[in-house]
Amino acid sequence: MTAATMGTPILSVRDLATSFFSQRGEVQAVRGVSFDVHPGEILGIVGESGSGKSITCMSVLRLLKATGRIKSGSALFDGQDLLALDEADLRDIRGNKIGMIFQDPMTSLNPTLTVGEQVIETILRHRQATRSEARARAIELFELVRIPSAAARLKSYPHEFSGGMRQRVMIAIALACDPKLLIADEPTTALDVTIQRQILGLLRDLQARLGMAVILITHDLGVIAEVTDRIVVMYGGLVMETGPVRDLFARPMHPYTRGLLASVPDLRDDSHKRLTPIPGSPPDMAHPPAGCPFTARCPHAMRQCAAALPPLFGDSHAARCWLHHAEAPRIAGINEVAA
Amino acid sequence: MPTYILQRLGMMLLTLWAIVTLTFFLMHAVPGGPFVSERMLAPEIAAALNAKYGLDQPIWVQYLSYLKGVLTLDLGPSFKYPGVSINTMIATGLPVTLQTGLLAVICVVALGIPMGIVAALNRNRWPDTAVMMIATIGVAIPSYVIATVLLYVFALRLGWVPTFGLDDWRGYVLPVFALSGFWVSFVARLTRSSLLETFEQDYMTTARAKGLRPGQILFKHGLRNSLVPVVTVLGPVVANLITGSFVIEQIFALPGIGRQFVLSITNRDYTAIMGITIFYAAALMVMILIVDLLYAVLDPRIKLSGARA
Repeated sequence: MTAATMGTPILSVRDLATSFFSQRGEVQAVRGVSFDVHPGEILGIVGESGSGKSITCMSVLRLLKATGRIKSGSALFDGQDLLALDEADLRDIRGNKIGMIFQDPMTSLNPTLTVGEQVIETILRHRQATRSEARARAIELFELVRIPSAAARLKSYPHEFSGGMRQRVMIAIALACDPKLLIADEPTTALDVTIQRQILGLLRDLQARLGMAVILITHDLGVIAEVTDRIVVMYGGLVMETGPVRDLFARPMHPYTRGLLASVPDLRDDSHKRLTPIPGSPPDMAHPPAGCPFTARCPHAMRQCAAALPPLFGDSHAARCWLHHAEAPRIAGINEVAA
Repeated sequence: MPTYILQRLGMMLLTLWAIVTLTFFLMHAVPGGPFVSERMLAPEIAAALNAKYGLDQPIWVQYLSYLKGVLTLDLGPSFKYPGVSINTMIATGLPVTLQTGLLAVICVVALGIPMGIVAALNRNRWPDTAVMMIATIGVAIPSYVIATVLLYVFALRLGWVPTFGLDDWRGYVLPVFALSGFWVSFVARLTRSSLLETFEQDYMTTARAKGLRPGQILFKHGLRNSLVPVVTVLGPVVANLITGSFVIEQIFALPGIGRQFVLSITNRDYTAIMGITIFYAAALMVMILIVDLLYAVLDPRIKLSGARA
């Protein structure tokens, strides 16, 4: 569905910067991130822990914890800047036009309320509906996310559900008001592998049936390859590479993306070659390096990389890497093919 | 649930029996007795008194006859005040203690919890600092010091309230304030820390992501989860407040049972000591049972199973 990249985006994030402030100083979690999400597409945001991928999405809905602060940027949704909207107007959008699913279904549901109540309260908050109408809608939603004997399970408490079932409840809550955009923050990370498949399949089916746009945040490239249309690769609070999923997997433009792909096992490959880990560890975001944050771990690092932060080179498929500068040395597999 | 409550009541009776037995023998192990005083009684009179109250019997006979009385809800006659039964003693002292105690409980709940909420919502800003300062003072300063200072300022200097007695509502102000001061402060601190911990939970982020209003988030999602530790403390606090405080009742000259309890100990008024101990133990156990039942209401993960007891 790369054709979805055409037209007006439903969400347009520009130059988003978010920091956390503590006694130890400022931690720059997100340092100027821009991306678009188009109606009906699934955008994957991939990166390792601490890359800023979750913070980016939490910033868009302004759901950061007390120590986090959005320093600059805009997030245009439906013609409104979510970052400039007043709190009351933003509350009308949260859970309504934008639904959100979180990583850990074991802790994301309130243990003292029935799951039915947690769905129903969302409907009642955003829709003109009586309680019984909201209840009927909740049953419909439970059936939609394939929770068996939906009507009876409304009265259950979260602790009476398995992890996979709880995540289905979370999805039902997120979809309660027919959102135009669904943000799924590592929705399968905390689940068993078999359950991961089910939830991922469910998300893909629902997206196809309901037609909303989805942002899928994950560190799992397998998940990304399976369901997304476009990818944003984040590292050190920055977008390192972005492009349609096929292009990006076939011709990764950034050494970091190449490293990520090389560190994933390919079960179709019988050559018994060893997986290649990326050496080193991510930069300390309390003191981010002046240049490219990947410099210290990059096999192709040049003097220029440490000196200055590269811009994004390219258009629909772009990478933040000096190797794509016209005067950069040629490196097979990176800028030779891409050039 | 009903089986659970029945089992608990059974356990309570067993506990009460243990308390009665322990108190009875401990009390008799202490040298002296109700009729020992500085002015020596004539031996015949002492013997007559001992015979009248059954103190000349072997101790196990006394124990059994007392136990029989307890089972028929008769706590016996006072040894110190002739003609006054312990039942009457509790019945006259209790209303006074209960009134001030319940008012103090209301203060603890109606002031302590809101103070904690305000502090938590304004973490590290001035309302938080103010509440925490008041609460720290309240926890640190003993109630008799507070009571004395309050009496001096509001009763003696300003004359707004009487120095003793409960003739009208103004008489209640200082005793209730002095009684509840510590617990208001304690509950405020506890509510604040519990709420701040709840705010960090993932489901609170979910509640915000659903677009719920701040009031819904605080009361429906936040407070209920934060109240379990507060309720835990409130149970014994209620038992404590409604059974009276010797110090406060003494300072404000209130004829409550807290005062009677301590006087009965100095008087070696055996039946009074026993009676009030039983009463206090029963009140405490009932409150703890209520707290346990409330847990299940507050948190559905807590199952009250008959098998546990």
